Parts: sequence; C-alpha cells; structure tokens
Amino acid sequence: MKPIHIIFILLLVIAGIIVFILASDPPLNAAGMAHDSVAGLKVGGNGAERLTTIGQAPFYFQVCVILLAASLLFLGVPEHRRDKLLYSLFATATGYALFVWYSLISSYESYHVTGVTEVVFGFPVPTNWFLWGVWSGFVMFDLLYVFAFRRYFLHPDDEKAFQELVTSMKTDGPEAGGT
Amino acid sequence: MEAMRQEIILGSVFIYLLICIGVGLWAMKRTKTAGDFFVAGRGLGPVIVSMAVFSSTLSGFGFVGGPGLVYATGMSSVWMAVCSALGFATGYYLVSKRIRMIAEVRDTMSLPDVVFARYGSETARLLSAGTILLGVLGYLATQILAMALVLQSLLSGTEMFAEISLFTCVVVSSAVLIFYCVTGGIIASVYTDLVQGIVMIISGALVVITAAHVFDGGLNEVSEMMLAHDGEDIMPFGTLGMMASLTWFFLFGLGLAGQPHVATKMMMNRKLSDNRIILPMTVFGYVIAAMLWVSVGMVMRALVLGDMASPLGSPDEAAPAFLSTYAHPLLAGIVFAGLFAAIMSTADSFLNIGAAAIIHDIPKAVRGRSLNNELFWARVATVGLSAVAAGFALYSYYENDELVALLGAFGWGTFAAALVPVVMIGLNWKQASARAAVTAISTSLVINFSVQLFQVKIPYGISSGFLAMLTSMILFIGISLLEKPKPLPKDLDRIMEL
Repeated sequence: MKPIHIIFILLLVIAGIIVFILASDPPLNAAGMAHDSVAGLKVGGNGAERLTTIGQAPFYFQVCVILLAASLLFLGVPEHRRDKLLYSLFATATGYALFVWYSLISSYESYHVTGVTEVVFGFPVPTNWFLWGVWSGFVMFDLLYVFAFRRYFLHPDDEKAFQELVTSMKTDGPEAGGT
Repeated sequence: MEAMRQEIILGSVFIYLLICIGVGLWAMKRTKTAGDFFVAGRGLGPVIVSMAVFSSTLSGFGFVGGPGLVYATGMSSVWMAVCSALGFATGYYLVSKRIRMIAEVRDTMSLPDVVFARYGSETARLLSAGTILLGVLGYLATQILAMALVLQSLLSGTEMFAEISLFTCVVVSSAVLIFYCVTGGIIASVYTDLVQGIVMIISGALVVITAAHVFDGGLNEVSEMMLAHDGEDIMPFGTLGMMASLTWFFLFGLGLAGQPHVATKMMMNRKLSDNRIILPMTVFGYVIAAMLWVSVGMVMRALVLGDMASPLGSPDEAAPAFLSTYAHPLLAGIVFAGLFAAIMSTADSFLNIGAAAIIHDIPKAVRGRSLNNELFWARVATVGLSAVAAGFALYSYYENDELVALLGAFGWGTFAAALVPVVMIGLNWKQASARAAVTAISTSLVINFSVQLFQVKIPYGISSGFLAMLTSMILFIGISLLEKPKPLPKDLDRIMEL
C-alpha cells in the first residue's frame, strides 16, 4: 500500500470519528461555560462530564492525526531514498509521539478520577506532557530532517540531477522540460 | 524610570518605525525587477529566510490575541502554538524543496504561479489567486486595525496626543507599512522581518522571565491557583475542551504549509541546502517568541481569578495590561516594539502576495500574460491594496464589523483548507489532478464562507476551518484517485522524483 492510500484511509477514519462526535448530544459544558462572576472568562467545569457522550473518540481522533502527520511527512521523502533505516526512524519518532499522547491522556484521566495532580516545572503533569511532550514529539521529525538531510531530503546525487535539469533548461530552452 | 514609562515605550516604537523606513530606503536600491520585488531574486541567506518565515507566521495574533485567548479560555489555544514543530516540519518535508526547484526552473514569482506550473490549469491559478486576495484583504484589515488601536492607546497616554483619532493612527501606521513595502518590496519586507524576528525573540524570552516572577511561587503558584478555581483551564485542553483543541492542532499543524505568505518565502533562499539550517532556526525562533503567548495569558488569568487584578474589559487587553503593570518600562518598550514588529511582519508579507495576485496572477490567468512594467504596477497595487484594507479596517470599526469578520474568515483556515491539498500533497504526488485541485479550492471556500455567513455553530467547539480542510483533503485525494493519471511536463516530473 502506498503512503497516499494510507493518508486517504486515515482521513476517512478521522471524518468518521468527527461524524460520530457531531451526531452525539453535547453536554452543556462541551465547549466551556461563562464564568459566573468574571465577564469575558470561560470555565471548563467537570472535565470528565464533558466526555460522557463521546467517550474515547478524541483519543482515537488524535491517534489518527499523529499517524496522518507521520504519513504525510513520509510522503515528502523521495521514493528512491526510502530505506529500512528511514522506516525505523519514522517508526521511532511516531512511536514517541503516540507514547506522549497516551501519557497525556492517562495523566488527564487520572486527574479526573482523583481530582489531584502534581505541579512540576510550573505546570500540572498532564500539561507538561502537552507543552513539552507534544511539541518535542514532532521536534523528533525536525531533528531527523536536520541530521539526515543529505541522506533523505537533498541527496548530493539529487542536487546534481537538479542542477543538470536547470542547465538543460537554460541551454535547450523550455523545450528541454516540456510544458 | 517608572515616571518615564510612556516616553520610553513611545521612544522604542518610534525607533523601530525609523528602522523600518531606513530598511525600505536601503532595499529600494536593490529592487530593480518584479522578481526582486516579489521573491527577492531568490538570493536570500538562511538567517534571513528563517526569521522571515517565523516572524510572518507569528502575527500580532500571537502577541495580543494569543495571550487574550489564554486569559479567557485557559490552555485551549496553546495547541495552535505547540503544533509549530509539526507545522514547520510539514513545510520543509513537503513544500520547501520542490517549490524552490519549481521557482528556479519555471521562474515563478508567486504561489499561484507554482499551482499553474504543477497542474497546468489557469482555473486553479485563478482560484488560488482569488483565495489569496480575499484572505489578504481580511488579514490585512485586521492587522492595520490592530496596529492603529495599539498606536492610539500609546499616544492617547501623552498630553500632546491625548485626543488623537483612530483615523490618524490608521493613516500613520499604514503610511510606514506602505513606505517600506512600496520602496523595497519583499527585500524590505524580509530584512525588516529579520529585525522584527529578533525583537520578537527577545520580547518573548524577557516576558517569560518577568511573568515567572509576578507571583512569589513562580508559575507553580499560578498553576496551583488555577487548579483551585476551575482546574480545566490549566489542563491541556483548557476550558474549550478536547475537540476544540485537537481540531486546532490539525488545522494549524498541518495547515502551516498551505499559508501563502509562508510558502512564498520558501522560494526565496539562495541555496536548496540552506533548508537544513532554516528549519531548526525557524522552530527555535517561534517557540521562544510564542512563550509570551502562554505565560502572559496564564498570569493575567490567575491574577484576576485570585482577585489581585481587576477583570479586563476585553481579553485582548491581557498583554497590554500585563506590560503596563508588571513589566519594567524598558521591557515594555521592547515588547511594544515587538508587537508592532509582529503585526507589520505579517502585514508586509500579505501586501506582497496580495499585490502579486492583482498584477501578476489574475492577469495571467485571465488574459494569458501579466502586465507590462510589473515593478511599477506592483508598487501601485501595494498602495491600492493598503488603502482598501485600511478603508475596510475603518469601516469595520466605525460602521459594521461583519465585513472584516467575513473576510477574516478567509484567513488561516481558508488558506489551509484551500491550499494544503493542492500544494502540500500535490507537490509530492504525481497523480494529483487539476480537477481535484479546483474542486478542493472551491469546496473549502464554500464551506468557510457559508459557516461565517450563516453563523453556523459547530458543537464541541470543533473548528470550521478544520472541517473545510478535512473535506478538501478527502475530495482532493479521492477525485485524483478516481481519475486516470495524466503525464506531467518533463521538468515537473523530474523535480517530483528528486
């Protein structure tokens, strides 16, 4: 199966999850409520209650989005440069992003159950997973781009081939490329 | 020094505006052709490009709207910023190399040029140019209005300008913007972006340090206070909930590569290999500057919830109120200059791509060739576009805010929905067809426009831009898969293999 087919399937699954969510009956505080005394502020209310009608749908939604993002990024690597190492690197980076997402949700659900959470580095634990974890999850892909640039993203042979194309376009005119 | 606060802030802003004018005059000497005006002759170094990409991505919204949203709704909107590592990754994995290659081979000057080169369809070029023009008008009007309102609030604090009108502030701020954009085109724009980017990074870093010291217990105390009041606001999904946050992550994370003011900058670097340096510098700059977004909003919310500050008249006052109360006057001066920088760096990018749509893309799509003497007409179009956007800004403020709101809907969400499939996927998948591109752009426009026009409320805070983007991506791939693949021109075919 080609990456574009995986992308298409993931988009359809995401659309299916969204249809399921839109078809459910949203609780009163699904998207927050006005603060009872301070104008302009919203409150979230009971967080667990907000998920009663849609259950785990947001969790699976984001799993699909992470897989979709990874598949799209994979599409950006030229086909003839995709090797086993690249598959391993992508699997590792995607696995890390999924692990972060799972940890975020687990700690968030735990907070809903117990009503308590630790505050570390200025933020509650689930928020730390969000701020540093979600961000760093995709920084892994940024680092892959930087460190494997010449191997996967602009191989010296490909750069040379492009220069030859430019030269042929200049010497032979647009006919060299065909329009 | 506290007694001189207003003078220090105004002085900082004044110096910054003078720098912009100076850069405009310097860049005028380097702008000799339309290619220089629109894509800087494709000769920019990596530092300039990275600063230009990040500073035009983080507009005034990041410095005013972002903290305001955190103040009003907690952490929900931070998903727009946290996705930046993904957003820039999609830009560099999927767009930067191919768009730069096409620019060199086909001598393209704008994103609609690239769309035409890829699909060979004048309809796709016209639709993408039309989308850009509508989006630019809305974005530009809001940026000019924001700039004028900040200027008015600063000047009205002085005796000499206590009664200054908004109209005067619109004229003054637009005049500076027009001056350096008209004289120096994109060269002035990207070099002012460099200054603007540096100011934004310094502002972001210093404000976080200041915010962390407002409470004795630092940000830990801020979080504890928020947990004691509502709790959900400081949790990862804020008060708006999971689906609002996650659909923003989708829209902003995967939608960045479709933003024309960002994608166009990827055509301007001198060497393809510079992308290796540009990506990390862009991510670094953005994350430092975006820290202001989170920290200021959080601290102001905690102060108000803890009865240590009065509730704000409007959430957008969060950053100005924080700066005027808690920041050292010098820092306030730098951040206010940073605020102007953030607004202007986005506005100048939009002016440039809007002018390209008017004098280059639309004439090419309609009559098969662009205007004669493009450089002259580019400057005329820049002035005209600014004047129209300033007119919209004033009209919306004094008469009716629906017009700008409507055009504003053609902002990030519409660019993402219309252009992500066409550019981000289309440049990496040979089977993508012109018909699919036209359908994707048209559908995204209809969905975004209808939701805004009919004031459709989507449950769970799901973003309308996300729905439009999801629909256009599905249609784009689905239609392309159903069609029989057509051969690409040889140069494009070769580029898409590299």
